[in-house]
Amino acid sequence: MSRTKRVLIACAAGLLACAIAAAADPVTIRYTLWDSNQLPAYQKVADDFMARNPNIRIEITQMGWGDYWNDLQTSMVAGTAADVFTDHLAKYPEFAAKGQLMDIEPMVKSDKVPTNIYLKGLADLWTRDGKRYGLPKDWDTIAVVYNKDLAAKLGITEKEMNSMTWNPANGGTFETVLRKFALDKDGNNGLSPAFDPSNVVRWGIAMDYSNFGAYGQQYWSSFAASTGWKFTNGMYAKKYYYDDPRFIQTMQYFADLSRKKGLMTPYEALSAQNVGSTVLFTSQKIGMVLDGSWMIGFYGGNTEFKVGFARLPIGPVGRRSMFNGLADSIYIKTQHPKEAWQWVKYLGSAAAQNVVGSYGVVFPAIESGVQAALKTYEEKGLDVSAFTAQALEKDGTFLFPITDHAAEITSIMQESFDGIFLGKVSAADALKAANQKVNALFQ
Amino acid sequence: MKLSLAARALFWAAVAVISFVTLFPFYWSVRTAFAFPRGVYSHPTEFLPPEPTLGNFERVLGLVDSATSVRLGGSGQTIHFFVFLRNSILVSALITIGQTFFSAAAAYAFARLRFPLSRQIFGFYLSALMVPGIVLLIPNFILIKSLGWLNTYQGIAAPAFLMSPFAVFFMRQFFLGLSRELEEAARVEGAGRVRIFFQIAVPLSMTAITTLAIITFIYSWNDYLWPLLVGKSEGVRMLTVALGVFRQQGAQNLPDWAGLMAGTTLAILPTLVLFLALGRRVINSIGFTGFR
Amino acid sequence: MAQLVIRERSKNTSLVRTGLHVREAGLALVFILPSLAGFLVFFVAPAIRGLYISFTDWNLLTQPKAVGLANYVALLSDPDFWNALKVTVFYVLWNIPLQTVLAVMVALVMNTAANSTLLKGVILLPWLMPNVVVALLWVWLLDPTVGLINVAVKALGGPLLPFLSSPGTALPTIAGINIWRYLGYTALLVFAGLQAIPTDVYEAARIDGANDRQSFWRITLPLLRPVLAFVVVTSVLGSFQIFDTVAVTTKGGPINATKVFNYMIYQQAFERFQMGYAAAVSMVLFLILVGVGLLQMKLLRAGEVET
Repeated sequence: MSRTKRVLIACAAGLLACAIAAAADPVTIRYTLWDSNQLPAYQKVADDFMARNPNIRIEITQMGWGDYWNDLQTSMVAGTAADVFTDHLAKYPEFAAKGQLMDIEPMVKSDKVPTNIYLKGLADLWTRDGKRYGLPKDWDTIAVVYNKDLAAKLGITEKEMNSMTWNPANGGTFETVLRKFALDKDGNNGLSPAFDPSNVVRWGIAMDYSNFGAYGQQYWSSFAASTGWKFTNGMYAKKYYYDDPRFIQTMQYFADLSRKKGLMTPYEALSAQNVGSTVLFTSQKIGMVLDGSWMIGFYGGNTEFKVGFARLPIGPVGRRSMFNGLADSIYIKTQHPKEAWQWVKYLGSAAAQNVVGSYGVVFPAIESGVQAALKTYEEKGLDVSAFTAQALEKDGTFLFPITDHAAEITSIMQESFDGIFLGKVSAADALKAANQKVNALFQ
Repeated sequence: MKLSLAARALFWAAVAVISFVTLFPFYWSVRTAFAFPRGVYSHPTEFLPPEPTLGNFERVLGLVDSATSVRLGGSGQTIHFFVFLRNSILVSALITIGQTFFSAAAAYAFARLRFPLSRQIFGFYLSALMVPGIVLLIPNFILIKSLGWLNTYQGIAAPAFLMSPFAVFFMRQFFLGLSRELEEAARVEGAGRVRIFFQIAVPLSMTAITTLAIITFIYSWNDYLWPLLVGKSEGVRMLTVALGVFRQQGAQNLPDWAGLMAGTTLAILPTLVLFLALGRRVINSIGFTGFR
Repeated sequence: MAQLVIRERSKNTSLVRTGLHVREAGLALVFILPSLAGFLVFFVAPAIRGLYISFTDWNLLTQPKAVGLANYVALLSDPDFWNALKVTVFYVLWNIPLQTVLAVMVALVMNTAANSTLLKGVILLPWLMPNVVVALLWVWLLDPTVGLINVAVKALGGPLLPFLSSPGTALPTIAGINIWRYLGYTALLVFAGLQAIPTDVYEAARIDGANDRQSFWRITLPLLRPVLAFVVVTSVLGSFQIFDTVAVTTKGGPINATKVFNYMIYQQAFERFQMGYAAAVSMVLFLILVGVGLLQMKLLRAGEVET
């Protein structure tokens, strides 16, 4: 090689090195999430992002649900929380009120990020008093999950499952279906007059009583809301309506369903935590269960029978599902606000959400992402239209109630529901007292 | 003691019951570990593993890639088992060595040396057994953070490295029970306290020290909340914390039972090995602990 | 080496304080310093800080606000606090007496026949599993419908045993799970105590005409007292601070039937962001434990802890 060439190459190398050095000094953004099922999807999203933004590294840490919040709060105290973290509707109001979240509204405005591309209502859930604390990234609804093989064997048609009606007085055709599923020790099903409610070997449905909390998302919220009842009168409301007669009647209906009619697994026959109605369903001790779209993957792969997803029962005012969604928030004390915003912006964009959708673990907040998810579910042989139809139906969803004092309200209501479903107190007595306590918190 | 036939029968019956009650849950955990997740959920009470498979162990050991992991019923997350194992061994060993040595030294002082306020200070130590751990958590976390020791081995080990009230209590009781003759003899010959400690007291109490070491190791191995908070990054994450990936992943999800049981079975093995290796000593000496 | 502690005690107090005292103080410092340093930094300092926090209203994320004794006054009228006290005391009552009696029985069984290392190894196994996994495993086994225990009971024609799913049985069940975990460890401690009793004492009693039962009550138990005292004191202190099992299995339910102190404190601190209040409750728990500890030492005439 001639000397000139060598010099030229050396110079070029030198310049390249300088250029690289200038661009390098990558900023690391720490990102956390709790669902290990979504980790592969988000890792791919991070890889795509890093390819487009070579000077930003995304470091993802995943921790299970319980650990996640313990860790986040402890880190916030010490000022070492992750730069961007997955946030939850029940938790973010507290963090926002205590000044831990960055308001991204200014950045949304200056970067002209469109907020109308998400499914209706989701974006507003993350705002308060003109401030914005996250861009929606996914949503979930509730539907009926049932044992298709068992239903076929018992002569319950798909049409029947998808057109159940319900009311708190006599249970409608929903109760009829439950009776068809139920079986007692002597082989009588729930329709037979000889059915013995105290010796049931297979119930129609089960609910995880000790997970009810204040909102009963995948348990009773659909039924209660389908009577026209509402938890509160709006976001950040200061009054709850647990003492409304429609709600009381709904809860008493389900209490009787389990304790008198023998159609729903009673409190003492279910595990408090970690096992619950899901295992009753997979081991065929119940015929159906209500659950959220985040469990689609689980049901798809963990049963020995075919699983069907059916529409919710039609209540007095129609079908209602709670609409919940996650977003990613930026920690107020992040050292790299600009880069954190870039990552959050990307996560809220169609590019990221299409990828997440394609992994088929969750429904992204943007329509195109939903389509990607549907395609993947279809390839797996799962018909999940019950969930999506509910989301797209007019008035089909109601928003997750967001108020202050979520933790205390959860404690109060859980205690109350425990009493009702253990048969220790009537719904009317328990709920009137509880509602007073709840509303007193806002005084 | 000579036993009548009836008494002997009763004895063996008792042994059988004790062994069964103790071992059955272990059997169950191993049975679940060898079952395909779908089988676990569909046949929760079957005695033998439903749909037997090695898949759970493969997942836990990080031997399969993401896609296969999902096919085997997992979440697709890859686990660097041996990295976490190494971390656990390092941290537990670090804590064990430090805690045992420093506690033994302190215990010796309380047991043998005369100095003012010795009883009060010891009583003070004991009171540390009565402070609810949760109160200590956040201040200690902030301290470790300000030392810059978050996500380091020393950060995880720090609180337990220098002392534990139980360890001091334990060793003190033992030292109190040691015969003084050897030490007196050495004193007469002019040996200093330090030499007596290292050359007489420690060798004589090897069984107690070994016992303490094993107890400390097992305790550090199974510790969860502190290592979770302080040792998040993969480079220092401990095995028991890493196995948290098999617990509830969402607010209303189930634990990954099969994976969890496989992970637990593997995580117990090192402590079991340690225990079997030094077991004789422990079992025969665990009594020389607190009642002297 | 069957020295009894009582003998030990008199030996110590009869030693004369000499000029050695001062020199030994310096030496003692060298021996104790690392341990003491750790104690001061990681126990005392946080505990004092905890005390300080208990006089404030602090939500962990913003500045604490001094409120004097307000937290302490509040807890006196907080039904949650009194419930926690009741639940925790009942838990200890369910847990410790039964565990101790079983431990003694198991120890006697081991002492009666051959000293089997295998058996000892077997009963120590539960102690090797992490707390959380033990709890999860038992949740599965105890499930009222799909847990093996209830399935077996049902097959034999028995009733449904709700275990963790009923307010009346949840607390004893948690006590049972913990007994399962710690029984082997406790039994071995007692066993070693039994082993240390010289056989000639029994021989002498036999010659005097005592039968097995009299031997047990008049000789074994009294001589076992120092061991039992240590075991009971440490077990009770530990039992008052139970947390993991409750957090995994019942989260304080049903209807607060298992909301023990530590769980209530955790909820206040981490879920309701009331760290000041949680610290105050912790301080009260600490005082209770000190009181309980002292009471036990007195009652059990715990020769095991005296200098």
